[in-house]
Amino acid sequence: MFSSHRHDDLKEMLDSNKDSLKLEAMKRIVAMIARGKNASDLFPAVVKNVACKNIEVKKLVYVYLVRYAEEQQDLALLSISTFQRGLKDPNQLIRASALRVLSSIRVTIIVPIMMLAIKEAASDMSPYVRKTAAHAIPKLYSLDPEQKDQLIEVIEKLLADKTTLVAGSVVMAFEEVCPERIDLIHKNYRKLCNLLIDVEEWGQVVIINMLTRYARTQFLNPNINEGGSGDKTFYGSDEDEDEDEEEKEKKPYVMDPDHRLLLRNTKPLLQSRNAAVVMAVAQLYFHLAPKAEVGVIAKALVRLLRSHSEVQYVVLQNVATMSIKRRGMFEPYLKSFYIRSTDPTQIKVLKLEVLTNLANETNISTILREFQTYIKSMDKDFVAATIQAIGRCATNISEVRDTCLNGLVQLLSNRDELVVAESVVVIKKLLQMQPEKHSDIIKHMAKLTDNIQVPMARASILWLIGEYCEHVPKIAPDVLRKMAKSFTNEEDIVKLQIINLAAKLYLTNSKQTKLLTQYVLNLAKYDQNYDIRDRARFIRQLIVPTEKSGALSKYAKKLFLALKPAPVLESPFKDRDHFQLGSLSHLLNAKAGGYQELPDWPEAAPDPSVRNVEVKESVRAVGTVTHRDTGALWGPQRMEGSESCSFPRAVPQRGVFLQTIAPSSALKSYELLHRITGEGLSVEYCFSRQPFSPDANMVAVQMQFTNSASSDTKNLHIEDVKLQSGMRVKEFPEIELLPAGETATAVMGIDFCDSTQAANFQLCTHTRKFFVSIQPPVGELMRPVFLTENEFKKEQGQLMGMNEITEKLTLDVKCRNEHAIVQRVTTAANLSRVPCGSDKECRFAGRTVTSGSLVLVTVATKEEGAAQLTVNCEKMVIGTMLVKDILQALTQ
Amino acid sequence: MISQVFILSSKGDHLIYKDFRGGAGNDIVSIFYEKVTALTGDQPPVVMNHKDIYFVHIRQGGLYWVATTTAGSSPFTITEFLNRLAALVKDYCGSLSEKSVQMNFALIYELLDEIVDYGYIQTTSSDVLKNFIQTEAVTSRPFSLFDLSNVGLFGAETQQSKVAPSSAATRPIQSSREQGGKSEIFVDVIERMTVVIGSNGLLMKADVEGEIRVKCYMPSCSEMRIGLNEEFSIGKSQLRGYGAAVRVDECSFHQAVRLDEFDSHRILRLCPSQGEQTVMQYQLSDDLPSALPFRLFPTIERDNGGRLLMYMKLRCDLPPKSLSQELSSPDQSAELKPQSRAVVWKIARFAGGTQLSALFKLEVPSLSSASMLEVGPVGLSFELPKITATGLQIRFLRLSPIQPGPSQRWVRYVTHSDSYTIRI
Repeated sequence: MFSSHRHDDLKEMLDSNKDSLKLEAMKRIVAMIARGKNASDLFPAVVKNVACKNIEVKKLVYVYLVRYAEEQQDLALLSISTFQRGLKDPNQLIRASALRVLSSIRVTIIVPIMMLAIKEAASDMSPYVRKTAAHAIPKLYSLDPEQKDQLIEVIEKLLADKTTLVAGSVVMAFEEVCPERIDLIHKNYRKLCNLLIDVEEWGQVVIINMLTRYARTQFLNPNINEGGSGDKTFYGSDEDEDEDEEEKEKKPYVMDPDHRLLLRNTKPLLQSRNAAVVMAVAQLYFHLAPKAEVGVIAKALVRLLRSHSEVQYVVLQNVATMSIKRRGMFEPYLKSFYIRSTDPTQIKVLKLEVLTNLANETNISTILREFQTYIKSMDKDFVAATIQAIGRCATNISEVRDTCLNGLVQLLSNRDELVVAESVVVIKKLLQMQPEKHSDIIKHMAKLTDNIQVPMARASILWLIGEYCEHVPKIAPDVLRKMAKSFTNEEDIVKLQIINLAAKLYLTNSKQTKLLTQYVLNLAKYDQNYDIRDRARFIRQLIVPTEKSGALSKYAKKLFLALKPAPVLESPFKDRDHFQLGSLSHLLNAKAGGYQELPDWPEAAPDPSVRNVEVKESVRAVGTVTHRDTGALWGPQRMEGSESCSFPRAVPQRGVFLQTIAPSSALKSYELLHRITGEGLSVEYCFSRQPFSPDANMVAVQMQFTNSASSDTKNLHIEDVKLQSGMRVKEFPEIELLPAGETATAVMGIDFCDSTQAANFQLCTHTRKFFVSIQPPVGELMRPVFLTENEFKKEQGQLMGMNEITEKLTLDVKCRNEHAIVQRVTTAANLSRVPCGSDKECRFAGRTVTSGSLVLVTVATKEEGAAQLTVNCEKMVIGTMLVKDILQALTQ
Repeated sequence: MISQVFILSSKGDHLIYKDFRGGAGNDIVSIFYEKVTALTGDQPPVVMNHKDIYFVHIRQGGLYWVATTTAGSSPFTITEFLNRLAALVKDYCGSLSEKSVQMNFALIYELLDEIVDYGYIQTTSSDVLKNFIQTEAVTSRPFSLFDLSNVGLFGAETQQSKVAPSSAATRPIQSSREQGGKSEIFVDVIERMTVVIGSNGLLMKADVEGEIRVKCYMPSCSEMRIGLNEEFSIGKSQLRGYGAAVRVDECSFHQAVRLDEFDSHRILRLCPSQGEQTVMQYQLSDDLPSALPFRLFPTIERDNGGRLLMYMKLRCDLPPKSLSQELSSPDQSAELKPQSRAVVWKIARFAGGTQLSALFKLEVPSLSSASMLEVGPVGLSFELPKITATGLQIRFLRLSPIQPGPSQRWVRYVTHSDSYTIRI
C-alpha cells in the first residue's frame, strides 16, 4: 500500500510542468533502480518525458528507458520517434546520445531502425558520433546475430577511419562480432600501429590485444633459431637501437618490418599510467618479441608492484609465469620481490613463488637468508609456503642442498607444530634424492614420532623409515612397535603408512618384525575405514605366502622396495604460459568462457604485401611527421645519464579529444623559401593545428623541405633567431642529410605571445644561410576548446562591452548553409564548434595558445544571407583581427 | 567486457547495481557476498567465479567494488577500471564512504552510464566526463564539527588532519565550479618507508616510496608551478653542488606535467584539472639522507621464574621540535594479543630526540633456550607529520594567472611506515 502510494506521488511530480519537480522525481526513481528495486510500474509516466527539454531530466529518463524497455516493449516503442529525431539533430552530442540510447533498447522490432541508424552514423562527419556507432554494433549483434554480415560491412568501413577516437571502439566491435575476419585488419594494420599512442587508454588495451593475435598469425617466430634453453638475457636497457638490430642478427631470420613497427610503437606505452595498458604491452612483448628484447618489460611490471594490492596480485601471477621462462629478466629486480610484513598472505605467497623461480647459484645465499626471517612470521600459511620454497630451492640448486637440509632439520625443533610438520614433509622429499648420505637425519626424524601430532608429518616420517629401513636397521622395528601400540588412535593416512612400514619391514627383516606385522594387519582388518581394511587384506596376501596367493607374492619385494624416482618439486606456474598472459584464463589457470587461444606462429610467413596501402603523397608526409615528432619528444626529455628517470610520454588526452571533435579542414600552406632564392632548396610551412607536445604554449609549425637541386643538402638547422620580447622558439632537430630530389618534414614550435608579429630567423644549410620569417594569421594563434552551450553563454556573458565586437554582413552565395559556414570559420581560425540548440546560430570556441584567453565566435544567420558575426575576446587586438579574417572568409 | 557493476557496503547492503548486458540473475549480488564472506583470511582472491560468471572485486573506502564478466576479458582491465571508478566517485562525491555513495545514487549512476557503454569502457578521464555529467553532488553537512575527528589527509588517514582545514579534501569537484566555492589547492607530499633492521642493529634495507599529490578546487587555474628543492637530483650520477643533496633513484611524472624548467630550476609546471591527481612519484632505496626515525634496543632474557623478559628501549631520532615540548611520558598502553601471539605497545605521541622504554614480562609455559630464538621480529607502524624521509621539500607554489578573490594554497608533508621491521 505504502509503496503504491509513494509511486502516485512520483507520477504526479513527473506530470507537473516544473522541471525541478520532474528532476527530483527522476532522481528518486534512479535511486530505486540503483538499489535494485523494481520501478517498472512507472514506465508510462516516465516515457512521456523523453522529449523533455531539460537535459538533466532527459539523461535520467534515458537511464530509465534503457533499464526497462525490454520489459515494456510496446510502451518503449512510443519513445523511438524521439530518438529518430535526435539522430538528425545538428548537435553531435545529441546525435550520439540518441544513437546510444536507441541501440541500448533491446526490442527486436526496431532492429531495422537500429541498423539504418548505425549505418548513417558510421558516415557522420563527427568522429564522436562515429565512435558511438562503433559501440552500437555489438549491441545490435547480440540482439539479432543474423545482422552479422551487414554489421561486418560497417565495421570494415569504420576500421578505415583515421581518427584516434574511433579506432579503439571499432576494434572492440571487431573483437566481439567477427574476430575471425583477420583479413579486415591487413589494410589498417600500419595505421593502427601508428595511431596507437594517441588512442584513448582503454582503446589501446583492446587494440594491443587484437594486434598480438594478428601478429601471431602473420609473422614468423622471431626466436625460431634460438631453440631450447637460451637463458641469454638482456638487462633491459631502454636504449636498444632498432637500427643495430639487423646487424646483430646474423641468422637467416629477418624480422618483417611490420612486426618491428608494432614492437617499436608499443614500447613507449610501457610508461602508461594505466596498469591494463602496461600489462597489454608486456604480454605483447612476451609473446611476440625476440628473446633479447623481452627484458624491457620487467621494469614496467616491477613498477606496477607499487599499485593497489589487487593490481599487485594480478601482476605477480604474471610475473611468476614469466620468471620461469625468462629468469634473467627479473633478476636485477630481486629485491622488489622481498616480502613486507604488511603484504596480504596471497601476495606474500606469490612473491615467494617469484623469489624461488629467480633463485640461482649466485643469489641463493641472499634468498635463503631472507627466507629464514620469513619463517618467524605469525602468518602460518605463509610460513608453510616458505618452507616449501626452501625445499624447492634445494632441489633446483644442488650446491645448497645440504645447507637447506640442515636448516630444515633445525626447524624440526621449532615450537610450532605446523612448522615442524611442514618441514618433515619437505625433508622427506629432499631425502629421497640421496638417502644414503643422510641416515642420521632419518634417525633424528624417527625420534620425532613421539612428539609430532600432525598426521601428514607422521605419515611422512613413517614412509621415510619404511623406505630406507636398510639405513636404520635398528631403529625401524622399534618405531613399528610404538606405532602398533597407538595404531587405533591414528588418523587414516598414518594408519596406511603404518601398514606400509610393516610390510616393508616384514620383507627385509622378517625375523624381528613378523609378529608385529601380523598384529598390525589384524588390527587393520577390523578398522572402520574400508580403504584400510582393503589395504591390509591386499598386503597380507602379497607378503605372507599361502597356497591361495598367486605368483605375485614372489615379486612382493620388487613391488614394495622398488627404487622410486625422487619427486620433482615444480612451480605451480610451470605450464601456465600456454594461456595468454594477462588473460583471465591465465589468472585462474583454467579456460574461462570466451577465451581465445593465442594462435601458434605460422610455419611460413603469409604474404606481407597484403598490408600495403596506396597512400597519397601528402598523407605520407604527415605520417613521417608524427613519427619524427615522437622521436623528438623522447630525445630532449630524457635526462642525461639517468636511465632510471622515466617520463611517461605526454599523451594529451584532452587535446586529442578536442582536436578530433573539431571538424578537420584542409591546412593552408605558405611559402618560407622559394626554390630559386634557396638555390634549389624550397621550404613550405603550414600550421598543423596539432598540440605542440614539448610545450603547449607554442604553435606547431610544420615545415616541408624539398631539395630540387642536384646535390645533397646537409645540416639543415635554424640559427640567429630574432624575436620580439617574450616570444620563444623551439627549433626542429637538425636534418643531417637531405638527398637531392627528396622531401623531408619537421615540426617546430613558436610561442607568438598571442601577437601576429613575425618570427625571424636564419635557415642554414652546410653552405648557405637564408633569412626567413614566419608570420601567423591570427586564426592560428588559438587552439580549440570544448564548451557546452551553457558554459558558452556564461562565458560570453562575462565578455561583454569592450570585449565584444559585432559586425553585420551578407554571406557569400555559396556559403549560406550551416555546413559551409562551419567549414569556412574553422578554416580561418583554429576553433571548435560549440553545440547549439538553434539552427540559426553557429558558435565556436577557442583559447589563445599563450595566455589561454577565451575566444568566442557566434555567427547568427537571418533571411537572405544576412548575418551577424560576434566575437568575444578579452584580448581586443586579437578580437578585431579575427573579425576581419572571418568576415573575409564568409563574404568571399 | 563488463556485464555488471555493483557496489556493496561492508555489511552487504546493495548500494549501486547496474547491469550492462542484461540476462544475469537477480541473486548475483548475494551470491557474491556469500562467497566473499565465506572465505577467511585477510584478503579473498581478486577473481572468483560462480558457474560462468567471474567476479572481480576490489575494496576501497570500506566498500566492495565489484564487476562481473562472462567472457575472457583481461583481469587487469577490470581491476584498473574499478580503481579508476572509485577514484572518480571520490572526486565527484567528495569522499568515499557508504554515506556519500548513498546520497549520490543518481550521480554515480550517471557516471557509470557515461563511463561504460554496453560493458565497454569508454573513458575514465575526468576532463572528458565533465562535459557530460549533469547531476550535482550532494554532500553531507560540510562544516560539521562531527566530521573534524575523522577527516583525513586525502589518501592517508592521519592525525595531522587537525592542522589542515576540516572540510579540506572532501569536497566534490563539480560543485565548486558552480557555487564558486572557496578556491583551494592542496599539495601533499606523502612518503612511505619500508625498513628492515637486522638483529645486529645494522640497516639491511630501506626503501622510500613517495608521491606528490595535488587536489585542486580552482575553477580557473591555468597553470601552477611547484618548485622542489634546488639540490634535488635523480639517479646516482647526478650530484648538484655540495652539502646534503636530496636524491631519489627513480622518478616519474603525470602526463600533464611539463618539465622544461625541471632540469634547470627543479620546477614542475602543470595545468591541474579539477580533482585529485598524483603529479610525481619517486623511489629511493638503501641510501637515506637522514638517520632513521626510530631505533630499538631490545634485550630478551629469561628470569629465574621461567618468565620471558623483553626490555625494549625505543629512541626517536627526529630533531626535537621545540624546547617547550612536553617530555613527560605520553599516553601509552600495551596489550597481549593471544591469537596473533604478539604484544602491542601503543604510543600516542613521541617527541623527537626522546627515548621510551618498556619492560614486558611474559609467562610462557615450557620456555626453553631454543624458543628464545623464536621471539621477534618487531614491527613498527607510525606516522610522522611535517617530515619527509628523503628531505624533499616544496620551495614554492605559484599559480597563474593570479587568482581573483581569496584563494588558499596548502602544502602538507607526511611520512608513513609501510613496513618497518626490526629483527631480533
